[in-house]
Amino acid sequence: MFWKRRRSDTDFRAEIQSHIDIETDRLIAEGFSPAEARSAACRRFGNVTTLEERFYESQRIALWLDDFLRDLRHALRSLWRTPVFTVVALSTLAMGIGANTAIFSIVNAVVLQPLPYPKPAQLMHLVTQYPGTPRFRVSTPEYMEFREMNRSFSAVGAYTEGEADVTGGDVPRRVRMAAVDSRLLDALGIKAAQGRLFAPEETEVTGNEILTTAILSHELWQSAFGGRPMIGQTVEVDGRRREVIGIMPPGASLKDQRTEIWLPLGLNPANRQARGSHGLFLIGRLKDGVTEQSAQTDLNALVETWGERVGVTDHVFTPLTANTGHILHMMPLQQEVVGDAGLSIWVLQAAVGLVLLIACANLANLLLARGETRRNEFAVRRALGASRGRLLRQFMTEGAMLSIAGGIVGVGLARAGVHTLVTAYPTSLPRASEVSINAPVLIWTFAISIATGMLFGLAPLMQIGAHRLLTALKEGGAKGAAGATRQTIRRSLVAAEVALAVMLVIGAGLLLRTVVNLTKVDAGFSPSRLVTFSMRLSGTAYRESAARIQAWRRVLEKVRAIPGVESATAMRGLPPNRPSNSINTDIESYTRTNEGPVEVVDYDQSVMSGYFETMRIPIVEGRGFEETDAASAGRVVVVNETFVKTFLSGQNPIGQRLRRLGWYDAAWWTVIGVARDVKQGGVDQKTGTELYFLAEHAEPLGPLAAPTTMNVVLRTALPAAALTKTLEQVIKEVDPAVPIARLRELDEVFAESISRPRLLSQLVGAFAALALLLAAVGTYGVLAYTVAARRREIGIHMALGANRLNVLAHVMKEGFLITFIGIVIGIGGALVLTRLMTALLFGVQPTDAATLVMAIATIALVSAAACLLPAWRASRTDPIVTLRYE
Amino acid sequence: MSIRKRADREYAAHLQGTLDLLILRTLLFGSQHGQGVARVIQQQSDNVLIVDHGSLYPALQRLEDRGFIAAEWGVSDNNRKARFYSLTQKGRKELSREESEWRRIAAAIGRVLDGQPRKA
Repeated sequence: MFWKRRRSDTDFRAEIQSHIDIETDRLIAEGFSPAEARSAACRRFGNVTTLEERFYESQRIALWLDDFLRDLRHALRSLWRTPVFTVVALSTLAMGIGANTAIFSIVNAVVLQPLPYPKPAQLMHLVTQYPGTPRFRVSTPEYMEFREMNRSFSAVGAYTEGEADVTGGDVPRRVRMAAVDSRLLDALGIKAAQGRLFAPEETEVTGNEILTTAILSHELWQSAFGGRPMIGQTVEVDGRRREVIGIMPPGASLKDQRTEIWLPLGLNPANRQARGSHGLFLIGRLKDGVTEQSAQTDLNALVETWGERVGVTDHVFTPLTANTGHILHMMPLQQEVVGDAGLSIWVLQAAVGLVLLIACANLANLLLARGETRRNEFAVRRALGASRGRLLRQFMTEGAMLSIAGGIVGVGLARAGVHTLVTAYPTSLPRASEVSINAPVLIWTFAISIATGMLFGLAPLMQIGAHRLLTALKEGGAKGAAGATRQTIRRSLVAAEVALAVMLVIGAGLLLRTVVNLTKVDAGFSPSRLVTFSMRLSGTAYRESAARIQAWRRVLEKVRAIPGVESATAMRGLPPNRPSNSINTDIESYTRTNEGPVEVVDYDQSVMSGYFETMRIPIVEGRGFEETDAASAGRVVVVNETFVKTFLSGQNPIGQRLRRLGWYDAAWWTVIGVARDVKQGGVDQKTGTELYFLAEHAEPLGPLAAPTTMNVVLRTALPAAALTKTLEQVIKEVDPAVPIARLRELDEVFAESISRPRLLSQLVGAFAALALLLAAVGTYGVLAYTVAARRREIGIHMALGANRLNVLAHVMKEGFLITFIGIVIGIGGALVLTRLMTALLFGVQPTDAATLVMAIATIALVSAAACLLPAWRASRTDPIVTLRYE
Repeated sequence: MSIRKRADREYAAHLQGTLDLLILRTLLFGSQHGQGVARVIQQQSDNVLIVDHGSLYPALQRLEDRGFIAAEWGVSDNNRKARFYSLTQKGRKELSREESEWRRIAAAIGRVLDGQPRKA
């Protein structure tokens, strides 16, 4: 080995010994007595030790490594001798570092790592913004105009997302679909793994021609087609035959949507009429050298003068004011993908950071307690000349060894934890599929392990400050009252732990309240005992609206006939969480003033008969739909309460007329009833205006008017699982080529709509519990130590007449004092920190008094439990035994 | 570094060089152990140069590290196990170089000490 010393110190020592021996021999020969000769030889030689040390020091690298190896051996030995300490320390570290590793792997994959496209920082997502609507679609003419005018982007493409039924494998299946133009694929920079991507002419139309190509994702190719050669083969998508021209590389996706099939978008570039028909999202790639900021400036300039540039005055981009205008809005694609999950993830990272700090404080305390027993050892070593630096290094070696071992176990825990998390919540996190424990994560883990080890490893050093060396030596074996300073350090550490735990518990409490509030939101209908599934009528047989309406009626007829099904209906958008499909509406009696709301209805809901009855949505005024309405030609609508509040306040809504602009025709519809508000865009969102009409009434409006995809909902006492077989059978009778998708109970839909806040509160809750546990262990530890150290004092007190209760109260009081200080500091910190998570809270303020009280009560309770055992033990002190023992 | 310290260090280096030279010279007559080296120097200098053992062994180690001498454990005259040092080829060269350098400087110093005031 390279550091192997040329000569061992034993060899050197032997040489000196031989020198002295030879000298002694010579002196004996000269007539000295052996003893005299020996001492004279030694005297002449001088200080052997100094010489040895000089030899030793000359071998510097070796010396350093020697020290290191010795420290390591020493650390191993001392850890081995104290298995309880080692296990407690290791598991604390493994949990602390493991949690940090797991969460950082999420931070890394979701927030830090760029999107998996070439030069991802250049990708921008473009949407339309209206006053009060931050994210809406772009219309075809707007997109075409932007394509022509844009100066900052090297490519701009359009897409829509949806679902499609794919037949081609054994069973028809519902897949996630992206309809894109060739420019979008250019902008993203995706390359086909097999075959090719769309050519420009393959994604655009000039008239009514039908586009017949498709690109499969690697995943769909594998799962539905078993990976067999597919290029040039035909698959049936929504009942239409399409040629597979390419297969995407594994993981290639539009944004984070796990796209399964890519279809041509089919826009007509000549279409400049339907300006208000907003259906597209845009992705652009900035030109090399163009910054986000300059692109934004350029975009703002375009919006200023859009109308003049394109020579249009009606429905054209104009800068936003309080309630007029609409603009093209740009933001980095990464931000669009990560969305508001970023904040949740940072909150998690902060939470595990606090847990690790608590773990550090705890370990520092453990080491301090251990240090107490080793205090004499250190003092003696200092006195014998070990430098402060030398001792420091030994502590750090011990600390680093523990924390690296803890880190290794932690990585194992993190790996398992992350895997479980991603499997259990595949859609609650954006980019979940990219989460892995990879090199950057391991580097992070290693770094925090080392930092952690140093942080708590140094703690014992505080107690062997040179100035207190003498004291330590003097205290010697006598177990006097422990040094006040040392106690202060330990108590401060525990108070800090409590403070950190308080912050976490308050944070967790707020998130828990949020989830409770979310589950308690009145969605406007009763979700229990409702089972739902989605169906799509897209085959050639369903070209005409009439055919679809007929099929929907047959489906409902058959479903209603299933034993155990009380009622059934179908609707386009499934509450409580569906995308807005706002539509410009002309309300006859409403004239918009400058301050008044824009005449846009947020949700356009087409339903089959029995909707209000099955969903149990009360009709508050007028009436709901009746069977006779479906058959009659009279166009009737039901509006929600918010609609009335927004547009018809102070008027009788019944009999009011409205028409939808840019729709199939501009005929008037009559309001026949007002339904209670139902949540549409998520339970945490405010309810939008909503318009219900019967799907049947769309039939005469044209072949595209009647809904293609609907959610069937049945009210039944049976669970979804029990209905699967029957429903499949029933639907097969209507059409064997139509798959049932997402068959589940509506309660599940609710749960899923709040799965992210729930996940967040569970994780932060778990971390808070861990923090509480650690803080409790810390409190217990410091009190137990105090009691042990003060046994004699307590003994004397008791001998002088203090009763057990006095002693108990005394120790408890001390524990509570530490806890109290911790709580006060913790609340202060929490008030600062929880403000940052306001956006994640629902129905609860960061300063919520109830949560604070609950958190304090929890901490106090846990702390009391932690104090009780040492206090009780103190009160059991037998004064006679104690005093005799000393 | 202060001038004073630097001067000290140079002086020390100078002394070290001298001791090195003496050790090498001693070993010219054959291998010898550390105690022997010290004794020979002392005897040959008529007890003027008494070698400090604290300097001797580090010097031996230094010379060994630089490859001027080689060491081997052997048995002394009176049957003691001892580490014997001998001159290497490199050491011989070093010795002659150092020796002539020393003589040159000694001669120069001698000339100065013997010198008569020069006539202008």
